[in-house]
Amino acid sequence: MSSGVAATATQDAGVTRRALRARAITPQHVVLLNPAWICVAGALLLSILGVIMIGTTEPGLAKRQLVFMLIGLLAGGMVALPHYERSRRFAYPLLLLVTMLLVFLLIPGVPEFLVRPRNGARRWINLGSSSLQLQPSELAKIAFVIALAAYLRYRENYRRLLGLLVPFVLTFIPMGLILVEPDLGTAMLFLPTLFAMLVAAGARLKHLVLIAALGLGSAPLMYPLLQNHQKDRIQAVFSQWTGDVSRADDIAFQGDRALTLIGAGGLAGVGREHARDLIVHNALPEEHNDMIFAVICNRWGLLGGLMTLGLYLMFCIGGILTAGLCREPFGRLIAVGIVALLFAQMTINIGMTVGLTPITGMTLPFVSYGGSSLVANWLMAGLLLNIALRRPRMMTRDAFEFTEPEER
Amino acid sequence: MTLHDLFPKMFHRRLVLLLAVGLGVGFTLAAQLTHLTVLKADTYRANAESRLSDRDFLPTYRGSILDRNGTPLALDEECYDIAVSYVVISGSWALKEAGYAARDAAGPRWGELGPEERVERISEHLPEYEAQVDQMWREIRTSGGLTEQELTQRLDDITTFVERTTDAVQTRWREEYYRKHGYPRPGETDTFDPHEVREQKDSYVILPRVSEDVAFYFKRRAEELPGLSVQDSWRRVYPWSTATVAIDLSSLPRELRGEGEQIIRIEGAADHMIGDVRERLYQEDLESRPFFKSDGSIDLKGYRIGDSIGRRGLERVFEDHLRGSRGMINARLDTGEEARTPRAPGEVLYLTIDIRLQARVQALLSPQLGLARVQQWQAGWTREGEPNKPKLPLGTPLFGSAVVLDIDTGEILAMVSTPTIAEGSRMSDAMRSTVAPFVNRPIETPYPPGSIIKPLVLAGATAEGVHDVQEGIVCTGHFFEDRGSARCWIYRDAYNFATHSPESTPVDAESAIAKSCNIYFYTLADKLGMARLVKWYRRFGLGRIPDVGLIQTTTNEDGDLIHFGETAGDLPTEAHIARLRRDGRLRFATVIAGIGQGPITWSPLQAANAYATLARGGIFRRPELTQNDSRGDVSESRTDLKLKPHVVSRILEGLRRSVEEPSGTGHHITYGGAGGDTEPIINAEGVTVWAKTGTAQAPAYAIDDDGDDEADRAITGLDHAWFVGLVGDGEAGQARPRFAIAVVLEYGGSGGRTAGPIANQIIRALKAEGYL
Repeated sequence: MSSGVAATATQDAGVTRRALRARAITPQHVVLLNPAWICVAGALLLSILGVIMIGTTEPGLAKRQLVFMLIGLLAGGMVALPHYERSRRFAYPLLLLVTMLLVFLLIPGVPEFLVRPRNGARRWINLGSSSLQLQPSELAKIAFVIALAAYLRYRENYRRLLGLLVPFVLTFIPMGLILVEPDLGTAMLFLPTLFAMLVAAGARLKHLVLIAALGLGSAPLMYPLLQNHQKDRIQAVFSQWTGDVSRADDIAFQGDRALTLIGAGGLAGVGREHARDLIVHNALPEEHNDMIFAVICNRWGLLGGLMTLGLYLMFCIGGILTAGLCREPFGRLIAVGIVALLFAQMTINIGMTVGLTPITGMTLPFVSYGGSSLVANWLMAGLLLNIALRRPRMMTRDAFEFTEPEER
Repeated sequence: MTLHDLFPKMFHRRLVLLLAVGLGVGFTLAAQLTHLTVLKADTYRANAESRLSDRDFLPTYRGSILDRNGTPLALDEECYDIAVSYVVISGSWALKEAGYAARDAAGPRWGELGPEERVERISEHLPEYEAQVDQMWREIRTSGGLTEQELTQRLDDITTFVERTTDAVQTRWREEYYRKHGYPRPGETDTFDPHEVREQKDSYVILPRVSEDVAFYFKRRAEELPGLSVQDSWRRVYPWSTATVAIDLSSLPRELRGEGEQIIRIEGAADHMIGDVRERLYQEDLESRPFFKSDGSIDLKGYRIGDSIGRRGLERVFEDHLRGSRGMINARLDTGEEARTPRAPGEVLYLTIDIRLQARVQALLSPQLGLARVQQWQAGWTREGEPNKPKLPLGTPLFGSAVVLDIDTGEILAMVSTPTIAEGSRMSDAMRSTVAPFVNRPIETPYPPGSIIKPLVLAGATAEGVHDVQEGIVCTGHFFEDRGSARCWIYRDAYNFATHSPESTPVDAESAIAKSCNIYFYTLADKLGMARLVKWYRRFGLGRIPDVGLIQTTTNEDGDLIHFGETAGDLPTEAHIARLRRDGRLRFATVIAGIGQGPITWSPLQAANAYATLARGGIFRRPELTQNDSRGDVSESRTDLKLKPHVVSRILEGLRRSVEEPSGTGHHITYGGAGGDTEPIINAEGVTVWAKTGTAQAPAYAIDDDGDDEADRAITGLDHAWFVGLVGDGEAGQARPRFAIAVVLEYGGSGGRTAGPIANQIIRALKAEGYL
C-alpha cells in the first residue's frame, strides 16, 4: 500500500510534491526518540510470543509465522518512511477502492477461483494461490481510520448531533458490507474505533452516550436478525455464565474447551510438552489462530496471560502518548484510531476466549497465526511510528480544543 | 488539583478518558483470567487431564446355570447382531442429511429462503439419501433371507415399540412438567417441549444372531450403510426351553395304555426355578448398582443401560453370582500407556436338579399324556357299575406339581410345576387368570395336606408318650356322638356306613396308615392337643420357609418389602388356638387337624421333605436346590426329631402296606362297579414303595371366564389329589427308602387314583434315568 501511495504521489507534479518529499526523511524533521517505539517494542514482543505459541502445536506454522513477521516488519518500516500526511489525499479514494473490493466479494456471479467461500463466508480474494489471498476487510480497517481522520480533522460540526451523521455513515458502509460477508467479528471493530476517534476529536460526550445507549438498548431487537449459529453462540456464552455444562459438547464446545485449558494452566502454566498434549486431546479448535490466548494461558498460566495483557497495555500507552505528543489533528486521530482498533480486537478476542463474550471469528492482533492479519497489524504499527517520527510543522493551530462545560 | 489543571488541553483529557476506559476493560479481562486460573484451576485442570485418558470397556457375559450332571440350563451364547439406528429406520436420518445438503448448496442464502422454498430444496436432495437407505435394506434382506414383507414387519414392530414407548415416556414427562409449572389454561400455548427419548436414538437389531460371514460382510459395508452396526453380543439361551420326552405307554392305566412310546413335547422345563433375564433395565436397577458411581469412580460390575438383569427365579436370586464384571482398558493418549482390568465373567451356578428327570416328570404331568386330565377311572363307578359323574368335565386338564428329593442328601432332583411359565405365556387371559401359571407350585403354593399328614401325627403322639404304638384304636366311623361331623372317610352311604373295625377289632398303627383310618388319627390328635400337634408339625418343617434359594423380594404399592418365591404354609397360631378355645371349637379343630384339615397348609416340597425326614429315621434337614451355596454348612440345618426307631419302622410298614396290600388306599384302581377289574397303582418292578394318599378338601375352584382377573364362578366340593411316597430299589425287606416323591394335582379328586399313577410313572422315570 505504501508503494501505491508513493507511486501515485510521483505522478503528482508541482511544488507540493517536492515540498513534501523534501520533508520526508530529513534528519532535522525527525524525532527519533519518540513514544511509538514503545508500540514497536510491544508489537515485536507480541509477534515473538505468537511465533512461540503457534509452535506449541504447529512448529511448521511457527516458522511461516516468523517469515510473515519479517515481512510485516519490513512493510511497517516502509509505511513509516513517507510522511503520513501524504496519505490524506488518498484517504477517500482508498476507502472507495476498499468499498469496491468489499462489494466485489458479495457479487453473486463472481467465479470461485476469485472468491472462494469458506464455511459459507465470502471474505477472501484469491491472488493466485491458496497462501496468497487478500482479505479486503483488513485493508478496510486501515482505510476507514485514515478516511475518518481526514474527515474529522478540521471540522467542528460533529459537535452537533446531526453532524455525527456523516462519520456514522462513513462507518456503516464498510461495516455493513463486512457484516454480510459475514464477518461479525471484524465488523464489530468499527463502532468502538469510531467512538474512540469521536471522543478524541472532542465530540460531545452526551451525544455519544445517548447514541451508545440507544444502540445498546436496541441490540436485543437485533437478535432475531442474527443467523442461527450466531444465536447459538450467544446462548453458549449464557450457558457458560450460568455454569450450565449441558451444552459443553455442542454449541458451547469451543468456549468450554478454551475455558478448560485456560483454567488448567493455573498460575504458571503447564509447559510446552504438556500443553501440547492437553490442547490436542481437548481438541481445542483454532488453537493457533482465534484461540491462541488459551494456548498462552495453558502453557504459561496466569502469568503468561497477564504478560500478554501487559504487552497490549504497553502498545496502547505508546499509541496514546504518540497521539498526545502529536500536534497535528490528522496524525492524532490516526493514532487514536489505530490504538482503538487494535485494542477492540484484542478485547473481543480475549473476551471470547475467557468466556465473557460470544465467540466470533477474530484473531488476536500480532499473536494469531496468519499473514494478512499480521502484516496489516504491522502496517498500523508502522503508521503509528510514522506519526511519532514527524516533528510538528510550525503553523498548526491546536486542534479539538472546545470549551466544554460538562467536562469540568 | 483537578484533571483540568493536570491536562489543560481537552484533547489530552479525552485521551486520558480513553485510556481509563481501556484500563477498565483490561482489568475486567485480567480479573476473569485470574478467576479462571486461580479459583477454578483445579476443576478445569481435572477436566482437561481427564481428556488425556481414554477408557474402553470390554463386554462380559453371565455365568451359566448347570444341572447336577453339568447340562446347561441357561448360558450366554456369543453371537453377532446386525442393528440399525432408529433415526434411519424412522426416515429422519435421510431428511436430516437432505437438509444439510440443501443448506450447503444454498450457502449463506439459506437464511433468506422461506419455509416452502426450504422444503422444496430439501425434497430435491431427499431421493439420494433414501436410495442409500433402500440399498441397505436390500442388502439386509439378501443376507438375512428375509422377504420384503418380513422386513417391513420387523421395522413396523420396532417403530410401533418406539412410538409407544416415546408416547408413554413423554406423557409422563408432560405430567411432571405440568405438575411443576402448572397446566396450560385453554387458549394458552403449551410450553412443554419434550426432548428425545433414548429409544429414539437407539439401534435396533434387525438380523439377530447372524453367522460370522454375514457379520464380516456388514462390518466391511458398515461405513457405506447409514446407521448400520455389527454388534458383538451375548444372548441368554435356555436350551431346555423346549424338549421332547418319550413315554412308554405300556405301564399306564388301561385307558391310556398302548404299544410303544408317545413323544411328549414339553416347553419351559424348570423355567419357574431357573427364571429368566430382562433385557431392559429400570431406573431402580441402574440405581441399585450404578456403573458410573456418583463419586466419579467406576463399578465394573455395575449396571449400564443395555445390560440385562435377572428377572425371575434363580436368575434373579443369584444375580450377583451370575453377573459378570466388565473389563476396562485405560489408555493414556499422551504417553500411549495402557492399563487393563480383565473382564470377569459371571460364575457358574450348579443345581441339584437332574434336568432329564425334570423333563420326564414334566411330561408325565402334561395334560398331553392324559394322566393329568379328568378321567373316568379317577371318579370311579357306583357299586352297580354306573360311572360316577366327575365334578369337572371329563378331559379337563389338571395342573399341579411334583417333587423328587434325594433322601440321603436332601437334594431336589426334580421340582415340576404345571403349567410352566412358557406354557402360561401363551394362554388366554381367562385361562391364565384361572390357573395362575407363573406360580411355582411345588414350593410356592400352600395346599391343605389331608391324609398325607397322618404319619406325622403318629410320630408326634408316640414321641410325646400320649399313645402307645402297640395299642390299637377301634374305628367307630364317627369320632363324636354327632354322626355328621368328624367321620371316617369310609363311614358313608357309598360304602354302606362301613368302619375299619368291622368286628370292633382295634385298628393297629400299620393298618391305620395303610387304610388311612380317620378315627385313629382323630383320637391321636385329641390326645396330643392342638399345641403339641402344631409343635410336631413344625418340627417336620410345616410353617417354615424351606429356603432353597428361591426367596425373592419386591416392594408393594405401600413400599413394604414382600417376600415371595417360597411359602412357609400355614399352621394355627397361638392367637388362633386361643380364639378356638374361647369359642369352644378347639377340640373339634384339633381332631380334624389330625387328618390335615383346618388352617393347615404346606407345599409339596415341604411334604416330600417331611416324608424324607421319616425315612431318615427322624433327621430333619433343609432341602437343597443349589450346590454352590454360601448360606452355611448343611449339617447345621440337620435336626434329630428323636423319633423311636420302632415307631418309624411301623410307620414305614404302614406306608408300604398302603400300596402293597389290597386294602391299602394306594393299592389299586377298580374299573367298573363292585367286582370290576382292578389294577395296581404302583406297577414298577424291582422297587419298594412306601406311600400315602391324600384327598384333601380344596378351597373353591375359582374360574375366570372372561379374563378380567375376577372370578366369575366357583366350583366347590373339589379335592386336591395327593400322593406322597418313598421309593428304594429291591424287594420289600431289603430295600431302603432313597427318594421321596410328592405329587399333587389340584382339584384332581382321589389321591390314589389321580396322583398315584403319576407317582408310579415318576418311579419308572427314576429307573429310566438310572437312579433305581
